[in-house]
Amino acid sequence: MKRSGFIEELHECQEKEEKNYLSKKNIMEAAQHHQVPPARAYGVATFYTMFSVQPRGKHIIRICRNLSCHLAGAEEIVKKLRETLGIDFGQTTEDGEFTLEESSCLGMCSLSPAMMIDDVPYGNLTPAKIPEILEQIRRRENRNE
Amino acid sequence: MSEERQLRIVLRNAGLIDPDSIDEYIAHDGYSALERVISEMSPDDVIEEIKKSELRGRGGAGFPTGKKWEFTAKADSDQKYIICNADEGEPGTFKDRGIMEGDPHSVLEGMMIAGYATGTNKGYIYIRGEYALSIKRLQKAIDDAREYGFLGEHILGSGFAFDVEIRRGAGSYICGEETALMESIEGKRGEPRKKPPYPPTCGLWGKPTVINNVETLANIAPIVINGADWFKGIGVEGSRGTKVFNLMGDINWKGVVEIPFGTPLSDIVMNMGKGIRGGRKLKAVVLGGVSGSLITSEELDTPVDFNSLARIEAGPGSGSIVVLDETRCIVDIARDIAYFFRHESCGKCTPCRVGTEEMYRIIDRISKGEGEERDINTLESLGKSMMLTSFCGLGQTAPNVILQSLRKFRDEWLTHIREKKCPVNV
Amino acid sequence: MVNIKIDGKEYQVPRGTTILKACEAASIDIPTLCYLEGISEEGSCGVCVVEVKGARTLQRSCITKVREGMEIFTNTPAVREARKVNLELILAHHPLDCMTCDKDGDCSLQDLAYRFGIKKSIFLDEEEAFEEQKETSWDTNPFIQFDPQKCILCRRCVDACENQAIVEAIGIAHRGHKSEVSTPFNLPLEETDCQFCGECVQACPTGALIEKPRMGKGKHFQLESTDTVCAYCGVGCNIKLYKDKSNMLVMARGIENPLVNNGKTCVKGRFGYEYVNSEDRLTTPLIREEGKLREASWEEAVLYTAKRLKEIKEKYGSDAIGVLGSSRCTNEDNYVVQKFARAVLGTNNVDNCARLCHSSTVTGLGKALGAGAATNSLDDIKDADVMFVIGSNMTETHPVISQIVKKHQKYDGAKIIVCDPRRTDIAKSADLFLQHSPGTDVALLNGIMNVIIHKDLIDRKFIDEHTEGFEEFKKVVEKYDLDTVSRLTGVDKTLIERAAEIYGKAKNAMIFYTMGITQHTTGTDNVLSVANLALITGNLGREGTGINPLRGQANVQGACDLGALPNVFPGYQKVVDPDVRAKFEKAWGVNLPEKVGIPVSEFGEKALKNEIKAIYIMGENPLMTEPDLRRVREGFEKLEFLAVQDIFLSETAELADVVFPASAAYEKDGTFTNTERRVQLLRPARERPKNAKYDWKIVCEVSKAMGYQMHYRNSAEIMDEIAELTPSYAGIHHNRLEKQGLQWPCPADDHPGTKFLHKDGHFKRPSGRGLISPVEYKPAKELPDAEYPFFLTTGRILYHYHSGNESRRVKVLDEFVPKNYAEINPEDANELGIKDGDMVRVSTRRGSIEVKSRISERPKKGVIFISFHFKEAAVNILTNPVLDPIAKIPEYKVCACKIQKIKKEEKV
Repeated sequence: MKRSGFIEELHECQEKEEKNYLSKKNIMEAAQHHQVPPARAYGVATFYTMFSVQPRGKHIIRICRNLSCHLAGAEEIVKKLRETLGIDFGQTTEDGEFTLEESSCLGMCSLSPAMMIDDVPYGNLTPAKIPEILEQIRRRENRNE
Repeated sequence: MSEERQLRIVLRNAGLIDPDSIDEYIAHDGYSALERVISEMSPDDVIEEIKKSELRGRGGAGFPTGKKWEFTAKADSDQKYIICNADEGEPGTFKDRGIMEGDPHSVLEGMMIAGYATGTNKGYIYIRGEYALSIKRLQKAIDDAREYGFLGEHILGSGFAFDVEIRRGAGSYICGEETALMESIEGKRGEPRKKPPYPPTCGLWGKPTVINNVETLANIAPIVINGADWFKGIGVEGSRGTKVFNLMGDINWKGVVEIPFGTPLSDIVMNMGKGIRGGRKLKAVVLGGVSGSLITSEELDTPVDFNSLARIEAGPGSGSIVVLDETRCIVDIARDIAYFFRHESCGKCTPCRVGTEEMYRIIDRISKGEGEERDINTLESLGKSMMLTSFCGLGQTAPNVILQSLRKFRDEWLTHIREKKCPVNV
Repeated sequence: MVNIKIDGKEYQVPRGTTILKACEAASIDIPTLCYLEGISEEGSCGVCVVEVKGARTLQRSCITKVREGMEIFTNTPAVREARKVNLELILAHHPLDCMTCDKDGDCSLQDLAYRFGIKKSIFLDEEEAFEEQKETSWDTNPFIQFDPQKCILCRRCVDACENQAIVEAIGIAHRGHKSEVSTPFNLPLEETDCQFCGECVQACPTGALIEKPRMGKGKHFQLESTDTVCAYCGVGCNIKLYKDKSNMLVMARGIENPLVNNGKTCVKGRFGYEYVNSEDRLTTPLIREEGKLREASWEEAVLYTAKRLKEIKEKYGSDAIGVLGSSRCTNEDNYVVQKFARAVLGTNNVDNCARLCHSSTVTGLGKALGAGAATNSLDDIKDADVMFVIGSNMTETHPVISQIVKKHQKYDGAKIIVCDPRRTDIAKSADLFLQHSPGTDVALLNGIMNVIIHKDLIDRKFIDEHTEGFEEFKKVVEKYDLDTVSRLTGVDKTLIERAAEIYGKAKNAMIFYTMGITQHTTGTDNVLSVANLALITGNLGREGTGINPLRGQANVQGACDLGALPNVFPGYQKVVDPDVRAKFEKAWGVNLPEKVGIPVSEFGEKALKNEIKAIYIMGENPLMTEPDLRRVREGFEKLEFLAVQDIFLSETAELADVVFPASAAYEKDGTFTNTERRVQLLRPARERPKNAKYDWKIVCEVSKAMGYQMHYRNSAEIMDEIAELTPSYAGIHHNRLEKQGLQWPCPADDHPGTKFLHKDGHFKRPSGRGLISPVEYKPAKELPDAEYPFFLTTGRILYHYHSGNESRRVKVLDEFVPKNYAEINPEDANELGIKDGDMVRVSTRRGSIEVKSRISERPKKGVIFISFHFKEAAVNILTNPVLDPIAKIPEYKVCACKIQKIKKEEKV
């Protein structure tokens, strides 16, 4: 009945999902595999902020608003992100590219304000840099296609 | 930065060697401590040495590491575990990340020695999911160490077997709390367990478990190599060795420093941090993270060690130093901190689940100029109750900075309420 | 012992005691909210905190254990302040609508707010009203309502679901201030594993979770409660029933009798009381006149009945009359009705519906062990290492036992082995599941025992000292090698081997079986085979061992115990024994018949053959419960006289010449004997309909009119007479049953009752030894063939009971499962082109019924399951009336059927 690796399996399921989320099927299968009752599995999936039970965009933007980023002007960055993307926290852009999420401290305080897009950290942000960073990601995507 | 004031034990290799190269680590005395314990020392010897060094945990609580190991070593069980707590989540803290990304083998070596000393053959490193590079570096280090025979069966030809697995967190500050962390490794919601029983006798899957912070583990190999007496010679009574701090906020130089315990906070801020940004005056320092303490300029000369800081109701905490200059609004800072705790409360106990929510609501109201004077009393009474009755450290420490600010900057709070404006116009 | 100080006074308490318990013992009151002893001990609310000298924080008294020298302060300013703040926090998120809340007066939060004088939370502004809008989508079921506004997230419900129900249908989702009690994905409860036992509701300290049927029916202080025993299955759950001012039952709660249900009940226990309130209740005697039933006075109905019975007795002889006692009536009722049959009518033709469920247990265990009842107790389960469940869908038939079994597995690591043709809920929970073909139990058990013998897992000492017949038995079992058994049963060889090893190696192994074992033409053989398994491994006569037939109805054990059987007087004293007969003749003052009577399963056939001319029925409904119903009905239609006493106009009562309005179990005092031989006291929870009478009273009146006086002032007097004449009940009197009842045998007034039978291997057989019998596998009487290619098996479902007369009159139960259905394996459904929900016609050589299909993984391929509760699609039209030669139990569990999809145009 060991539940070792249940969270690891959820990570893996989510990484495989194109929409960056845990579907009901994902969770139920992982739950069965690890003998976790469904209600508990759902409790776990909704506990951790890196998991989502709602479909998300291709890229997850995690912006920190905690103390050092806050002091360094994180609110300005948040404002700019909202503007540029046209979405609020927890929402996904219409083209399905980006989901905006707030994150607790990312451990990039010496580079504050900071954010991560997927696994990539971005530090020393200014509002002006935001459109550029997002555009870059979109461009890279187009190239890859 | 004044290098001469620093003493690099934990960060001995950081920036000097290629963290992805086990060979470079070995070339810098890496794994020689492991060799020594396996070839020359009994597990009891190792524990004695660590106890003698007076090393205290670097995760915040400062529990003597040797004692922790001894509890687990003495526990009778078919299976024991070593956990490296790498769930660094305290806002304003990135020291563990620096160690893991700069010198991952130093952490592994510490775990192996802990494993040897306690009779444990299995280790987990629980790293927060957001630390993608740390995860990568440590995984590489584990793979290399396994290849070189430092992990696995018959380590260095001995009967000692030990292996390590990484467990990723998934976005939860509370998982830095040791029992919540174990719940998370077990695949559950990261909610704290009732203590006692304590992890050294009943931890992961109910088995005796040593859980140490990254920085604590990085101290182990140097202690073994240089001896407990050498280590005891650094720092001050009750706080031996060095401490890694992260410096940030309104200062001229931001970054990582490692200083011997006992260095005055003013030295760190004014000299190492090269003073307050823009020549402004210092207002306060948030020391040890948002669950830590609020230090005023009058208290700035306090030496940074467990005992001295305790006298001003503070502690080194997570090793974060956030400097606030005179332009900062204390209510705004408090609001940001309350917002964080509301977001990170696990929700298990009432004082923390509802307390963090109400605390944020009240402070938010005050920050908007909608506060009433009775709110101050309510906040103090709530904060006190949270400290006294929250289930775990999260709720118990969440009010720390806020309550201290109410005491130390009461006028500023009252101005927000009475004049419905911020004296520093934030 | 540990020395502690509480509020300055010194105490000694046992090590491991919590501060809360220590304070309780010292009569120091500590307020609690989230704490529910043994069920929820999470320490979440922070209301029970106390100060402990030297501790940095206040300590939760509910989960903090005392230490030597601990100094505890329970009433300091810090303690008072912290408790109050935590309550204020909760009350900032809880509506203050007590005036319209059903839990008003029965709410822990309300009590605490009162005690701490909190009118409105300090966290709410003067003008700020509580107006948090929360929605939940998962309480669409008819049983349980969840109001998230009132939820204080104490987690008692989640823990009750986890630790009492062993289901985990609900959990905590999200975190922090967004935490909520939720089903997985907010699915409606009915789409989860929820069994609607309502443990969560009982655990809820506020009005967040509440029984829907009680809403608006009155507040707690307006209801009157009575402690009694559940009237459904044989577990005998102790329940508290609440009636409103208009004498309607409106709520039920489990009582914490640790030896039985310990506070638990199932969906029927909690919600199934409503039938007694029904407008369909019979309120006046009825007499058939010109083919129709008309109202009659008691006097007329009683005199008419007496007259008719007398005439028939005189004309055709005593044995032309049959009497049916009832598993749903009390011990006292059954005692009186069998006395009536024997002493007044002069016949042993008296039986009860145990014939149809556990008569093979009585014959089989009687033969093997000398006593035809469960050997052990529910309280013993905790001592078992292995729980071997065969032919028992216990989660649906005996839900609370299933909870106890699953809890023991979950928390103590005991193993569950399940053998069943259907993948039932308990099978899903099992460590090992053997899905054998219907009717192959003997083959399977022989196979398991073959392995046990070969692996030398037998208990040689026990066999030598306490049994007989082993060598002969061994010769038979020798033939049942793994290949043979696997072929006969369809079970994988390794599973049989592993089952043998797990059971064989267990220190204490407990067997549970239900009708999957008994309802076969080989029912007695099956039971003997089960007994063999326990005997050769020495699993008898200790706690945590034994053979435990789970009795299906509230008093089926008692009806048998009290002699509603054709061959025995109360206490299984044989009617053919002249000494016994002499004892009863003396006590009853009449000559008694010496011939063994006819069992109920032959009543229909005998009536068709004109051998039975009249039947007197107390609280039974054979025209729904007998196999091959149409034929039985023909028989009953030929009767010259049929009298029925019942609470409803049942299918059988509709055919009667006289119908008497009886009172329901929840209106009676008297006793039930549960599946573990525990005699428990019933108390009337409501007044019976004005013109209805107790069953025993009705029988007494008819008896008196026939010239035989039975003077009992109350049921306690009947029990005293029972005690006088029945050695195993000799020490049982109502005044001894107040708390936890007594388990028979209880031979004397000072005897504490018997927790388990056959202590130290002493069996109540002439030789004193247990009998190991050679049993050969014999297939069921009717097997699938080309024309009828499927097995049909029948049984109970969780939400209904017996012929449906009670449960189908419970609005919420009938609303939840309003129609019968046939469970069909997906592979079979696919081959037949049947989709879930399609109407199908299921036919056997005896008839056909139309039901909905339910595609389910539960039945094995080739097996169809249909329940017996629904008169609209009565499965007993289909069942095979062949009987076990000894027990006379019909083979309800196996016959051959065919199944066809009904085309749309046919439906019209």
